[in-house]
Amino acid sequence: MELKRTVKFEADRDPEFARWISHTVGGERIRHCLQCGLCSASCPLSLYMDYTPRRLMHLSREGFKEEVLSSSSIWLCTACYACMVECPKKINITHLMYALKERAIEERFYPKRFPIPVMAQQFCRMVRGSGRITESWLIVRVFLRTAIWRLLSMSGLGWKLFLAGRMPAKKEKIQRQDEIVALLDSVAETRKELAL
Amino acid sequence: MPETRTPTNGSNAGGARVGVYVCHCGTNIAGTVDVRAVSEYAAELPGVVVSRDYKYMCSDPGQALIQQDVREHSLNRIVVASCSPLLHEPTFRRTIDRAGLNPFLLQMVNIREHVSWVHLDKQAATAKANDLVRAAVRRVSLHKPLQKRRVPINTNVLVVGGGIAGIHAALTLAEAGKRVYLVEREPTIGGHMAMFDKTFPTLDCAACILTPKMTAVGSHPGITLWTYSEVVKVAGYVGNYRVKVKRKPRYIHEDLCLGCQECVTACVYKEGKTPDEFNLGLSKRKPVYLPFPQAVPQKVVIDPETCIEFKSKKCKKTCVEACGDRQAIDFTQKETLEDIEVGTIILATGFKTFDPVRNPYYGYGRYPNVYTSLEVERLINAAGPTAGELVLRDGKRPKAVGIIHCVGSRDANTNRWCSKVCCMYSLKLAHLVKERTGAEVYNFYIDMRTPGKGYEEFYDRLLDEGVHFVRGRVAEVTDWAAHPSEKGRLVIRAEDTLAAFVRRIPVDMVVLSVGMEPQPDAQAVRRMFNISCSSEGWFLERHPKLAPVSTFTEGVFISGACQGPKDIPDTVAQAGAAAAEAMALIDAQFVELEPYTAFISEDACSGCRSCIPLCPYQAISFAEEKKKATINEVLCKGCGTCVAGCPSGSIQQNFFEDEEIFEEIEGVLAYA
Repeated sequence: MELKRTVKFEADRDPEFARWISHTVGGERIRHCLQCGLCSASCPLSLYMDYTPRRLMHLSREGFKEEVLSSSSIWLCTACYACMVECPKKINITHLMYALKERAIEERFYPKRFPIPVMAQQFCRMVRGSGRITESWLIVRVFLRTAIWRLLSMSGLGWKLFLAGRMPAKKEKIQRQDEIVALLDSVAETRKELAL
Repeated sequence: MPETRTPTNGSNAGGARVGVYVCHCGTNIAGTVDVRAVSEYAAELPGVVVSRDYKYMCSDPGQALIQQDVREHSLNRIVVASCSPLLHEPTFRRTIDRAGLNPFLLQMVNIREHVSWVHLDKQAATAKANDLVRAAVRRVSLHKPLQKRRVPINTNVLVVGGGIAGIHAALTLAEAGKRVYLVEREPTIGGHMAMFDKTFPTLDCAACILTPKMTAVGSHPGITLWTYSEVVKVAGYVGNYRVKVKRKPRYIHEDLCLGCQECVTACVYKEGKTPDEFNLGLSKRKPVYLPFPQAVPQKVVIDPETCIEFKSKKCKKTCVEACGDRQAIDFTQKETLEDIEVGTIILATGFKTFDPVRNPYYGYGRYPNVYTSLEVERLINAAGPTAGELVLRDGKRPKAVGIIHCVGSRDANTNRWCSKVCCMYSLKLAHLVKERTGAEVYNFYIDMRTPGKGYEEFYDRLLDEGVHFVRGRVAEVTDWAAHPSEKGRLVIRAEDTLAAFVRRIPVDMVVLSVGMEPQPDAQAVRRMFNISCSSEGWFLERHPKLAPVSTFTEGVFISGACQGPKDIPDTVAQAGAAAAEAMALIDAQFVELEPYTAFISEDACSGCRSCIPLCPYQAISFAEEKKKATINEVLCKGCGTCVAGCPSGSIQQNFFEDEEIFEEIEGVLAYA
């Protein structure tokens, strides 16, 4: 049995992270959190989470960055908004989950080959590159980066979908794709300014 | 219409015509006791003319039923089997009084608290109810008509304690034109509230809202203010209390002192040497001092323990020189006793804060930068020892402050109760500390309890201000560093139960949010005023919901934190309630006394005088010419002590005469 230190020192806290979370989009009201646990109880996926949404709120505003960003919970959130609808303090929990996902990707705080962040990254890259998603190519890209053997085991299903015209090989692309790039750049710029 | 049963034996023992009324009390009684069977059983008892059962005897139709029977069946004795006489004896006495029967010809049987609520076996419960009803029927036949006594009520009121509760009660009564004696133990009124900086949740300054009321007390023509005084003896009864007040010498003629404090400046001590009580020892005062700038009365006081003149008689007495022609200083002043007569008394003796030395693991008294919340109130008060600068003992500003809730509250090792105010004042202190120093503030709490108008909103505001809230009871405050960042600081260790791990948080200052406790002399005070205390030592109200400021002693009321922990709004509300209750008594102009007085059968009295010292009300005297004891009916409270103590059995008590009691006992024991 491996014994680990579980007590937390103040030096383990990252006050910058706590400041960031309350200034990020969706985090405006996180300090008001009463820790009532309604978010955790209403969340359909909390039964698989290592940290419940309630605990994530507390750990975030206290600045326990490592615990929060390495949590599986932020990736399990499907953005069903059940927590946000009922939150008695009107905290934008779902928005916060997105902010945390982004930060985790930025700081590479997820296990290698973990499909959900890879999927998110590839999705964004594809939108930026062609303005549209071609699902067949997105699936292939995600599997290539996470579980190549899964690509082989699912090839039978892929072939059937291809024959049914559901897996087009041709990449879709929009006209004036440069405008999408300009749009995304401008959003990124604005957010950088906001985050300061 | 309930069924009427007429007795089959038709007997009419001793001329008594008894009506028996058995109450269902909804299902409270009827659920466990076969009320119909009890009523049928009672109908067969000798002397019973009518016996009925009814759903709610205390309701208007229930009472009308009794009154109708009294008239139609010429009843002269009534037995009601229902709840405790504490609850409805007055109701049914009024009922039969209105029907033309003397109210004391009633006997109540408690078949709810004594039977249905404490038994499960229906048959046995019914049998017990039968026994008790039988006893009551036998007893009531011997009841004699009695008359309540009326005595005039003295319109003066004594208020004990000059905190915000006593101040508010005294002002309310004085405004209504009553003469009020306000007795305060300390040299000034103001109490704990005068020591606070701001008040939650509005953050208005405590002194700004309190001192106008203090000066109003000091200048009100209807209030006699005696500070530095204590009540030493209370005698008499509701409407006519005789009170002795000890006035300690302040060695200053209050009527001559102007409060100019030139004597203080002139004192041979250049600097204060004695820990200042008002600043909780955080500053020093001289032997002659004014407790605080807004003290009421604005009269200095000399502390004989530290004044050189009292110790050596060799002081230069520069203070007397400074006072000059006013000659307000008098080293020969002696303690005096004042006798006053009042009709009602309001106790507002307040609380004391928990002494955190009893919790050694928080390091109070061991680490200089561990403070109590009250000390921090003084530190951040602009009139306090540091002129409002929140600094550590070495004069530095703290960068991190930990506030520990529930110190001496919710703890079986010290006090089990919640002190109710600590959550809110801790939030207030957190706000003020952050505002004044910009320090990181950590609150360690078990539950955040903020019920009250605007209180939850205040908590929400503090959350937004970025104060840290760690939910967990602190285990230890230590100076032992387990991490380089903890060196030279005080480390607070607690489980952050919301994060589910233990945290060690280094801070520069620890604030212990101490709870409220009864005053150390609460037991002595309650004995003097003949009231009760709860097991914790708080003064006991007559009913926790419906008589919250009354006590079991008529004419003695309680208000404020002497009754239990409470904040300023609740205290003021209670003080107003106590004043109104006192006025209700006064404005009735007389009080009715129960006729349960003792009386002496002179033929049997041997004149041994053993009853005289037994009487707690000094109601018994010795008639020299007859060589017999006599009882003053007005003073007798009907406690029964002399009745039990009389060696010749020559003292009896109205409503509790021997034959009545024996008849009742025999009734219970006479199994059918």
